[in-house]
Amino acid sequence: MTDDRTTLAMLSEQLADAVATAGAALVAVHARPRLPSTGVHWKDGVVVTTDGTIRREDDIAVTLPDGRRIPATLAGRDRGTDLAVLRIASGSLPVATLGDPATLRPGHLVLALARLDAGGPRAAFGAVSATGGKWRCWKGGEIDSWLQSDLDIYPGFGGGPLVDATGRIHGVNSGGLSRTLATTIPVATVNRVMTQLLERGYVTRGWIGAAMQPVRLDPATQQRLKREAGLLLLSVEPDAPASRAGLLVGDIVVAMDGKDVDGFDQLLDVLGGDVVGRKLKLEVVRAGQPVSVDVVIDERPRRAR
Amino acid sequence: MTTMSAAFLSDPAERLRASVVGIANGRSGRRAAAGAAIAWSGDLFVTSAHVVTAPPSQATIVTPDGRAVPGEVVRRDAERDIAVVRAAGAGVPAAVAGDPYSLRPGSLVFAVGHPFGVRDAVSVGVLQAVSPLPRGYGLNGKGSLVWVQADVRLAPGNSGGPLADAQGRVIGVAAMVVFGVALAVPAPEVERLLSGLT
Repeated sequence: MTDDRTTLAMLSEQLADAVATAGAALVAVHARPRLPSTGVHWKDGVVVTTDGTIRREDDIAVTLPDGRRIPATLAGRDRGTDLAVLRIASGSLPVATLGDPATLRPGHLVLALARLDAGGPRAAFGAVSATGGKWRCWKGGEIDSWLQSDLDIYPGFGGGPLVDATGRIHGVNSGGLSRTLATTIPVATVNRVMTQLLERGYVTRGWIGAAMQPVRLDPATQQRLKREAGLLLLSVEPDAPASRAGLLVGDIVVAMDGKDVDGFDQLLDVLGGDVVGRKLKLEVVRAGQPVSVDVVIDERPRRAR
Repeated sequence: MTTMSAAFLSDPAERLRASVVGIANGRSGRRAAAGAAIAWSGDLFVTSAHVVTAPPSQATIVTPDGRAVPGEVVRRDAERDIAVVRAAGAGVPAAVAGDPYSLRPGSLVFAVGHPFGVRDAVSVGVLQAVSPLPRGYGLNGKGSLVWVQADVRLAPGNSGGPLADAQGRVIGVAAMVVFGVALAVPAPEVERLLSGLT
């Protein structure tokens, strides 16, 4: 029993050590009324937090672990992945030690951390509930891996890190990506989005300027083309890639670059990556006849992001 | 030999549960217990002010073995939300007091209480802070008091029960939940309220 008591005390100490280690790289972000959110000092002079906690784009400040409050500027934000990036003075605090989310399995102990004021870091405790591959969140952004835990994301914990029992940071917790569960934006997604936000201030997404809806083909066409479904063009914006390529309302897109299309997922997968300027080969059913159309993907206009 | 991952908090939880009682306002039967109380020393039990009325008043202690023992409220601090009840002859072993200020954020903590009437239920989490509440959590002015703040699930019926460290030492008296965060009155405040009582 004494051994159990000692190892339990050691576990408690290890968790507190993990909080202290990871907490050294956390700031409180003051970019909304009343309650601050949490930011992770991801690399020197760069703080990552969640887009949803940024309510004003000017007059942003962060509180450092030593209690100092310093100004921060918004480098960029991406609603699609719920990430925002701030710049602060170089050398203000230690840089986060990152982990590899692929090493986390359901059942592993994890902590969600926050910094809300000049006091110490705050912690919530739980376990990894589920992991998985790439997914697309309801806000439209592509998240590189699925990482869900049974942690409570308390007010102010948004933008804070998911930390393993050794204090390594595996991503940024978002209360906004899933309505009910603690979801973590993993390291790979943060790195990818942060790089774009630092370069451009926003994340580019592919755009062809057409509204579509999944439909089933009529039985005769199904039999003739050996396909069942496609995306029906409902509207085509003027001076957009779709209209320049001659796509018409009523066209049904059945394949892209040789791959069958029967829903939005395939389209969003194509348009989500670094694709601006790339030529997309569409197979279209027009008035019952197959037609091939080449569309040059453009950048989604910022008003429509 | 059991491993730590198998036994986890079962030993400290078992020890602490022996010192946790149910409490009801006034003279009632053992089924009326609405909150929890902690056997602190001798015949003295500590609970939340909001589960008993101001002295002179009566309360009933329900021991872990199911006896209803009459007691009297001897101290009550409504602002700090703690009270002391004397119940002679209850014969419940006293809990061990701990020091919340010696713990760091992330340290394991657990609560024992009667959430929704479930006797001596254990809930586990970690310490968030021992401090006034963060600005923005509000609490009608009570935010300036120092609270033990923890990521532990509490429910009605946990009031007056202990929040303990990994060794089962009582670091606070469960009081309320604000924005989901469990708040407990720091154990040293209990000692202050008890001073002069024997």
